[in-house]
Amino acid sequence: MTGAAITLAGVRKSFGDTPAVRDLTTDIPAGSFTALLGPSGCGKSTTLAMIAGLLHPDTGDIRFDGRSQLGVPAEHRPAGLVFQKPLLFPHLNVEQNVAFGLRMRRLDRSQTRERVAAILDRVQLTALARRRVGELSGGQEQRVALARALVLEPRALLLDEPFSQLDATLRAEMRRLVKDLHTESGVTTVFVTHDQTEAVEVADTIALLLDGHLAGQGDPEMFYAAPPSLAAARFFGVTNELPGTVRDGQFTAAATGLRRPTTLPDGPAVLVIRPETISLTSPSGDDDTMVGVAVAARFAGTHLAVDVQLTGGFLVTVYTPVTTSVRLGAPLAIDLPQAAGVVLAADRSLVSG
Amino acid sequence: MNQPHLDTRPPPADPSAPARLARSPSSRHRSPSSRHRPTVPRGIRIAVLLAPAMLVVAVFFLTGITQAVGQSLGYQPFLPHWRLSLDAYQDLLTDPAVRASLLLTARVAIIPTVLSALLGVSAALLIRRLGRSRNAVSGIVQANLAVPHLVGALCMLLLLSQGGLLSRVSYAVGATDIPAAFPAATGDRFGWAIIAAYVWKETPFLTVIALAALGRGVEDLENAARSLGARPWQRLLHVTLPLIAPAVTGGAVLVFAFTAGSYEVPYLLGRPFPATLPVVALQYYNATDLTTRPTAMAVAVLITVLSGMMVAAYLFIAGRLSRRSL
Amino acid sequence: MTAKPPTTTTRRVTAQGAPIEATTGPGARWVLPVRMGRRLLVGLLLVAALLPLVPLLVWSLAGQWRYPALLPQQLSLRGMQLLVDPRSDTLRGLGTSAGIAAAVAVLACLIGFPAGRAIGLYRFRGRRVVQFLLLAPVIVPGLAVTLGIQVFFVRYHLSDTVVGVILVQLMPTVPYAAVILGAAFANLDIDYERQARSLGAGPLRVQLFVTVPLLRQAIAVAALMTFLISWSEYVLTLLVGGGQVKTLPLLLFAAIGSSDTTAAAALAMLVIVPPLLLVLAAARLLSGRSAGAVGFGRL
Repeated sequence: MTGAAITLAGVRKSFGDTPAVRDLTTDIPAGSFTALLGPSGCGKSTTLAMIAGLLHPDTGDIRFDGRSQLGVPAEHRPAGLVFQKPLLFPHLNVEQNVAFGLRMRRLDRSQTRERVAAILDRVQLTALARRRVGELSGGQEQRVALARALVLEPRALLLDEPFSQLDATLRAEMRRLVKDLHTESGVTTVFVTHDQTEAVEVADTIALLLDGHLAGQGDPEMFYAAPPSLAAARFFGVTNELPGTVRDGQFTAAATGLRRPTTLPDGPAVLVIRPETISLTSPSGDDDTMVGVAVAARFAGTHLAVDVQLTGGFLVTVYTPVTTSVRLGAPLAIDLPQAAGVVLAADRSLVSG
Repeated sequence: MNQPHLDTRPPPADPSAPARLARSPSSRHRSPSSRHRPTVPRGIRIAVLLAPAMLVVAVFFLTGITQAVGQSLGYQPFLPHWRLSLDAYQDLLTDPAVRASLLLTARVAIIPTVLSALLGVSAALLIRRLGRSRNAVSGIVQANLAVPHLVGALCMLLLLSQGGLLSRVSYAVGATDIPAAFPAATGDRFGWAIIAAYVWKETPFLTVIALAALGRGVEDLENAARSLGARPWQRLLHVTLPLIAPAVTGGAVLVFAFTAGSYEVPYLLGRPFPATLPVVALQYYNATDLTTRPTAMAVAVLITVLSGMMVAAYLFIAGRLSRRSL
Repeated sequence: MTAKPPTTTTRRVTAQGAPIEATTGPGARWVLPVRMGRRLLVGLLLVAALLPLVPLLVWSLAGQWRYPALLPQQLSLRGMQLLVDPRSDTLRGLGTSAGIAAAVAVLACLIGFPAGRAIGLYRFRGRRVVQFLLLAPVIVPGLAVTLGIQVFFVRYHLSDTVVGVILVQLMPTVPYAAVILGAAFANLDIDYERQARSLGAGPLRVQLFVTVPLLRQAIAVAALMTFLISWSEYVLTLLVGGGQVKTLPLLLFAAIGSSDTTAAAALAMLVIVPPLLLVLAAARLLSGRSAGAVGFGRL
C-alpha cells in the first residue's frame, strides 16, 4: 500500500433533519479496490457523491492525495464516477459519449481518437463505436459508461452500484471486467454496493457503512473470520448467535454453558458462529460439541441447511454437504472447533431493535 | 424517427430500466384470450378505434384543403357553371398587396419565433434553478398562456398604441408631448405591436415546453457530465441544450405556423395594407364581388402550402434529431 | 405518469435518490451575486409577463381615462355592469361560449380516446400517416382550411348554427386530444388491463373502471385544453357561425372595434377569468407535460 488516495475526515452530511452520514473518517488506500458496503439508506451513495463533488459535506474534509477537495467543483476533481444508471448522453453515439470528457478538456482530435479507440477496444466495444446509445443492451451501456470514465485516466474510479440493474450472469461478467481493469490500470477504485457477496468477490478492501457510521474496514476475510461488531457479523450473514456473558476474560453461553476465552471487558456478549464453519457429528460427550435434535433440513443448492434444536433450547443452523443424510428428530451433535465462532459485545441497540 | 408530433412519447425511457415487455409489438397486441368472444382481428380493431378521429380529419381538414385548392382553380360546388383556370394564382403573382403581405407575414412570424425561442429557453433555465419561488413563477408563466391571443392583442393595443400606457409614461417623463409624437407601434408598416403580442404570448409557451423537456433526467445527465469534467458552460452547450433542442424546435415550428396563420392579432394590431396573408385571404373572401373568391382560396392554399412546408421541415428536423438522440 | 418535480427546495435527486445540490459548492464568493442576479432576472420576467395586463385591468375599471393621464380620472363599475346588463349580448355570449366549449371538450375527448389508444398502444403500418394526419390540423391554420369547407356548411344548413360551430371546432381539438391521450396510452402499463380481464371484467368495463381512472390526469388535461381552445376560438366561429353564433371572442372583437375601451376591457376580463381559474386549478397536471403544453399554442 502506498498510503491513502482518498481521505475522509470527520465527514457529516444531513438532508434537512435526516442525517445521512454521521462522522465518517476513513482512508481509502491508493491502488486499492475498496467496496463501500452497506444496506440501502446507510449513506454509502451520499458518501460517494461527496467524494465525487456532487454533494458537499456539512462538516469534515475530503482529501485526494492529501489535498483538500472542499470547494473544488465536481468537474475539477480527478475522479471518474459511474452511476447506477448508465446516463449515456442520448444525443451522442457510443464513440462521442466516450470522447465527451476529453472534448471538455479540449484534447486535440487525433489524441482523442486514439485514446477513445484504445479504451473501446479494451471494453470490447470497438464494433459498436458508431452505434446510437439507445440501441445498446444494458451491459453494453454500462461498459460505455465505464469506458467514458476510464478514458480520462482518473486518480480514482467511483462506481455507484453500477451493475445493480443487470441480471445475474451479466453482473458477474461485469465484475470480472472491472476487476481486470483495476488490475491492469491500478486505479484506486471505490465500489458502492449493498450486496456483501459482490463486495467480497471484487474488492480487496471493504469499508462497511451502517447507519451513517463506519462499522469496520479491512480485507474481506476479516469480516468472516473476525467481524468487528455484531452488526457487521449480522450483515455478513451470520445466522447463529449464542448470547451469554463475559467475566474475567471468559465468555459463557447462557443456554449451553459453552465457554470461550475472550479479550472483551465484562458484560453481555454474543458468540456468533457461521453455519459453514461447524459440522454435524454423532453425540460423544466431547467438550467441543453441542447436543441437540435436527428439526428441519433445507436443500440450498450447494449445501444442506440443517436446523438443530439444542438441548438448552437454542436453534443452531449448520451447513453440511448435500450428501449428508439427516433424520429429523434423531439426536445428534454439532462439532464446534475452537476456531469456529467469535465472541462479540452485545449491541444493545441492535438487540432491542 | 418515431413520432412526428411533439414529445408525446414517454420521457426518453430510462435506458437502464428493463425493456418493457409490453412495448414489443408481438406481446402487446395479443389480446387476452376469451372463450366466448371471438377475437377481432387486430387491423380491424385499430381501424375501428381510429375511425371517428380520422373521420373528423377527413371531413373537415382534408375536404377543406381539397376544396380550397379546387375553388382556387375555379371549381364551384353546387354551382352549374364553372371552369378551371389559373387566373387566381396569376392575380396573386401580380398583386402588390400579396407581395407586401408575404414579406410582412414572414417578418411577424420569424422574429417572434426566434425571439420567443431564445427567451423561452432562457426563462426555463432560470426558472428551474429557482428555489421556493419556482412554483409561483412557473405558475404565473402558465397563467399567461391561458390568455387568448385576442385578449393579448387588446393588451398590446392598450399598452403600445399612441394613446396607450407607454405613450402616457413617455409624456409623463417629458419625452413626448402629443400622442402622435410617440412612435407608432400599432397600425404601423413594420408590425411592431404584432411582434410584441406574439413574443408576449409565445415566450411562455416555449418556456413551458422547455421546462417540460428539462424535467426528464436532464439533471442526472448534467451530473454525469460534471463528473466527466464539463464546466457549467460546457454542460449547457454540450448536454443541456442538445437534450432540449428537439422539443423546443418542435414548439418553435408550432409557433411559426401559428403566427403565420393567425388572423385576430394582425387584424387588430396591423393595418389593412400591407396585411398578413390570413387577413388578405379574408379581405378577398368577404369582398362583395364574388369573383374574388378564387383569389381568397389561392391565398388560403398559399398559407396551407407554407405551413405544410413547416410540418415537413419539422418532421425532417425531428427525424434528424431523434435519430441522433435515439 | 410524471414524477412530481421537487417542490420547494433547490435540491435535485440523483439516480440513487440522494439529493444533489444545484450550486457549485461552498464557493461562497459566488453564491450571493448569482442569487441576486437570478432574482433580478426573475423580476424582469414577471414584469414582462404581467405588465401588458395592467392597462387592461385598469381600463376595465376606468370611468374616464384621457390622454395623457397615467391613472384614470375616475374609476367606475360601468364596465362590470355592462357585463351583467341583460340588454347586452354578454350573458348570452357567456352561455353560448361555455356550452360550445363544453360540448367540444366532451366530443373531442370521446373521439380522441379510442384514437389515442390506437396510436399509443399499437405499432401498425400507416401509423406514421395517422400521426401526420393528426399533426397537420394542429399546424395548418384553421382559417385556410375553413374557407374551403364553408360552402358545405351553407349547403347543409349548418352555417350560422351552434351545431355547425361545434363541428368545425372539432377540427383543431380532436387531433389534439388524440395526441395527448396517445402519449398517455403509450405510458400506460397494459398489464393493468390484462389483470382486470383476468379478474372477469369485460372489455368495456375494463376501459370504464380501469383504463379511464388510470388515465384520468391525461383525460383531464385533454378536456381542459380542448375546452380552452374552443373558448378562445375566433376565426372558425366567425366563418361558420356567420356572426349569428355570438361567442365571447366575437363579442370582444366587435367591442375592440367600437370606441368604448372600458366595455372592451371589461369583456376581455370576462374572457380571461375562466381560463385563468381552470389553468391555475390544473397547474399541477399541466406542469412537466409538454404534450399538454402544445395545446396552448392554439389559444
